[in-house]
Amino acid sequence: MSDANLARALSRRSRMAKLKKRLSEGLFSGYGFLGYLFLYLPIIILVIFSFNDSRSTAQWAGFTTRWYVAMAKDHQIILSLWNSLFVAVVSTVISVIIGTLAALAMERYRFWGKLMMDAVLYLPIIIPDIAMAIMLLIFFDLSGVGFEPWKVHFFGVHLAVPYSVIIGHVAFNISFVAVVVRARLAQMDMVLEEAAQDLYADPWRTFWRVTFPMLLPGIVGGALLAFTLSMDDFVITFFTSGAGFNTLPVRVFSMIKKGVTPKINAVSTLMLLFSLVLVAISLILSRGGSEEGPSTPTL
Amino acid sequence: MKKWLTLLRQRPSLQAWLLLLPSAFWLFVFFIAPLFIVLVYSFLERGTYGGVVWHFTLENYRRVFDPLYFKTFWRSFYIAAVTTFFTLLLGYPLAYYIATRPPKRRGTLVLALMIPFWTNFLVRTYAWLTLLRTHTGLINVTLMSLGWIHKPLPLFGNDTAIVIGLVYGWLPDMILPIYATLERLDRSLLEAAMDLYASGPNVFRRVIWPLSLPGVVAGSMLVFIPSLGAFVTPAILGGGKALMIGNIISNQFLAAHDWPFGSALSFVMMAVMLIATLIYFRATSGEERRQL
Amino acid sequence: MSEAYAVELERVVKKFGEVVAVNGISLGVRDGEFFSLLGPSGCGKTTTLRLIAGFEMPTSGSVRIYGEEQGYLPPYQRPVNTVFQNYALFPHMTVAQNVAFGLEMKKVPKEEIKRRVAEALELVRLTGKENRRPKQLSGGQKQRVALARALVNRPKVLLLDEPLGALDLKLRKAMQSELKALQERVGITFIYVTHDQEEALVMSDRIAVMNEGNVLQVGTPEEIYEQPQNRFVADFIGKTNFIPGKVVMLSGEAADVRLEDGTVVAAARPEALGVSAGEQVVLSIRPEKIYIAPHGDKPLVPDADALTHAVGQLQKVFFVGVERRYIVALPDGTEVEVRVQNTDRGARRCRVGDRVSLYWRRAHARLLKE
Repeated sequence: MSDANLARALSRRSRMAKLKKRLSEGLFSGYGFLGYLFLYLPIIILVIFSFNDSRSTAQWAGFTTRWYVAMAKDHQIILSLWNSLFVAVVSTVISVIIGTLAALAMERYRFWGKLMMDAVLYLPIIIPDIAMAIMLLIFFDLSGVGFEPWKVHFFGVHLAVPYSVIIGHVAFNISFVAVVVRARLAQMDMVLEEAAQDLYADPWRTFWRVTFPMLLPGIVGGALLAFTLSMDDFVITFFTSGAGFNTLPVRVFSMIKKGVTPKINAVSTLMLLFSLVLVAISLILSRGGSEEGPSTPTL
Repeated sequence: MKKWLTLLRQRPSLQAWLLLLPSAFWLFVFFIAPLFIVLVYSFLERGTYGGVVWHFTLENYRRVFDPLYFKTFWRSFYIAAVTTFFTLLLGYPLAYYIATRPPKRRGTLVLALMIPFWTNFLVRTYAWLTLLRTHTGLINVTLMSLGWIHKPLPLFGNDTAIVIGLVYGWLPDMILPIYATLERLDRSLLEAAMDLYASGPNVFRRVIWPLSLPGVVAGSMLVFIPSLGAFVTPAILGGGKALMIGNIISNQFLAAHDWPFGSALSFVMMAVMLIATLIYFRATSGEERRQL
Repeated sequence: MSEAYAVELERVVKKFGEVVAVNGISLGVRDGEFFSLLGPSGCGKTTTLRLIAGFEMPTSGSVRIYGEEQGYLPPYQRPVNTVFQNYALFPHMTVAQNVAFGLEMKKVPKEEIKRRVAEALELVRLTGKENRRPKQLSGGQKQRVALARALVNRPKVLLLDEPLGALDLKLRKAMQSELKALQERVGITFIYVTHDQEEALVMSDRIAVMNEGNVLQVGTPEEIYEQPQNRFVADFIGKTNFIPGKVVMLSGEAADVRLEDGTVVAAARPEALGVSAGEQVVLSIRPEKIYIAPHGDKPLVPDADALTHAVGQLQKVFFVGVERRYIVALPDGTEVEVRVQNTDRGARRCRVGDRVSLYWRRAHARLLKE
């Protein structure tokens, strides 16, 4: 009799425990959903109101694409988009080359001054952009380097090269590229390079045939990160650009300062699309590439 | 040429510096040198029409601690701390949630984090501007039209707005390192703890939390430092009233033309961050940092 | 030095900072020989191999390959190839691309590369796997690709760094005989690094036993096993008993040694060993070289009267299938292990606790320094 009672009590207890587990699991999943909702809802609303047929960004008044048309007709915006792309491409190319070389030196050698270089490479990551911005501002002013874009004419192409902005972007991108490439290098087995040397490859060919292909996912990851950071940067560009030179974020900032309109939403949606394309590229590369994709830019 | 190559082969540190030459040049000229110039400027007097007078003074640093500015300094510190606290509070369970999903779901969820992470910070801040604005923001407009409130909530142009913007902006930076440590956690450790009679909360308190601490510390650093130096968020969501140290610094260059004082403010801000970084390096071993 | 060696090391020293990895070793590896470097981990065998390959440069001393001084020559200019411990196959290349790599670097014509790669893959029985990636291969197959990738270049010397270490026991045994057969077929000099003494004994023409950066003995497997020159070699290769004693008589190769309890036994002196009468030494006797019999009985061998004789007490007997192991304590407490084939009837009459007689031949008791 008491045995039966005990058994019943036990089974009750185990049923309770099961229920409790289900409940906590359910609450937890609910929290996960809310967390992602918090991350995505503002962006989704932003996109929705870029199609709002009213100047308001709070009350829905029907669907329109007129803000996109207005954006496309705004020469300032189009120009600043080209400027952004130009600065991003040039600074990415420079910083990927310089940063990869730095990563190779830091990861593959022991040398005098390494600790100091380590600190110098990490500082631009840690230092807030506002501090770096005013540092560069004072430097360009004091040194007489100046801010005015450098006008280039060749083969009928007129190009304004905003060297001060590019210099600043490269200065912070080197460090990020170096971090990502170093992470990849650290995972790589040195013995593969020895194997190549053993098979008659001199250092030059060892690099191009073995080191570089294996390093490529890291380099691509670093390039994507550098490109994104450069496209995203507002503060450093704002302080180092000459009069009248705008990148897209700088343009958007001054538009926001003048007043909120769905046109800004439209531009923001465009920038969002850019980010999505970059995420997609990095995803495709990591799936299609070798066993490991570009490292996530978590620092 | 041949002689050079032999010399190079025998001296690896020469090879290393050859590889470092471009980056070292770039960073020393365009980063370290400017840093020193700012340091020098912070001890100079301001010129009448902007610029500087080459005359040594400690006045700029004294003014940093003047109540007028020190209050902003302290508020920035406070906002950064509150932001860090809330990102941790929201981010830890989310990181734990992701880490406990099946591996395939985990990949999708991490990718879903990357999208806002890669989205332009300015865009994300602007999104909140359209939500929070006092009279024309979506939240207040919706709540008023529903008749739930009759007076707009004070969501904009104050510290609350700045904290919301910063928490939203830096949340992925908190989640990712915590997730990295949790994901690596050996499940058999949890089983061992449960086998040794630890209940759910105790497993968390005694095993999971201590083991995820390196991720928590790293995430807190990644949130605290940029929050302290925030410029865009207060500029947009502070509505020109609620300012942080980053805005005060930029004002010295854009409006007040007091470059020496702006330099001094920057240096004090960087000193605070340096201290925070040193604490971080003390709190975690090199091995733990490399895992992130 | 007069002999033409394939690889010759002369007083080679390699230091890493303060640590001496290789302590002035001199070695000569003969043409066409299967030569093993054997020793515990950290003995300097891998460093020695890397010095020959050119991955490390000697701190002092000279490395010659077929008489040519290698000096500071980088690995890609040396006529040797290496099979690495964990294969070191390039993950971004197929099997065929891996094997072709060295030939491409040497700018061998395309047609010839194709032919030689096919030959090499046939040699290691991997025809048909050309387009696989290393990831898609089993451990044994990776091993054979690594081998083909090295052999295809027809190196003068092949260096192998514990190439079978990552394989499981059964596969390892199979690969041992395969490797040995391969070496005989291609006739290339092999220098083989291993810490597995059985592997070294089975495969090698000659072995160099190393410890703490020194070469302690070089010889054929038989020489190393039967005539160890010092205590480390005797102990590291196979199982042996060490019995302490004092030299009482020396006469050429023969020596008489007084054990602690006063018994005088026969021993053999290695030619190079400089000992004098009265010196404290140890005898090294392999367990299977000792006969055991009930006290006073003689073992059932024709030359029983010529054997030397000691007395002890039987402590334990272990049955291990093919043999029995007897643990006997000598009067001074030294434990001696005796291994007897399961067919020996005489030994079986010994009971635990009995006094027993131990017998051995003079040549089997090796006199060694303390």
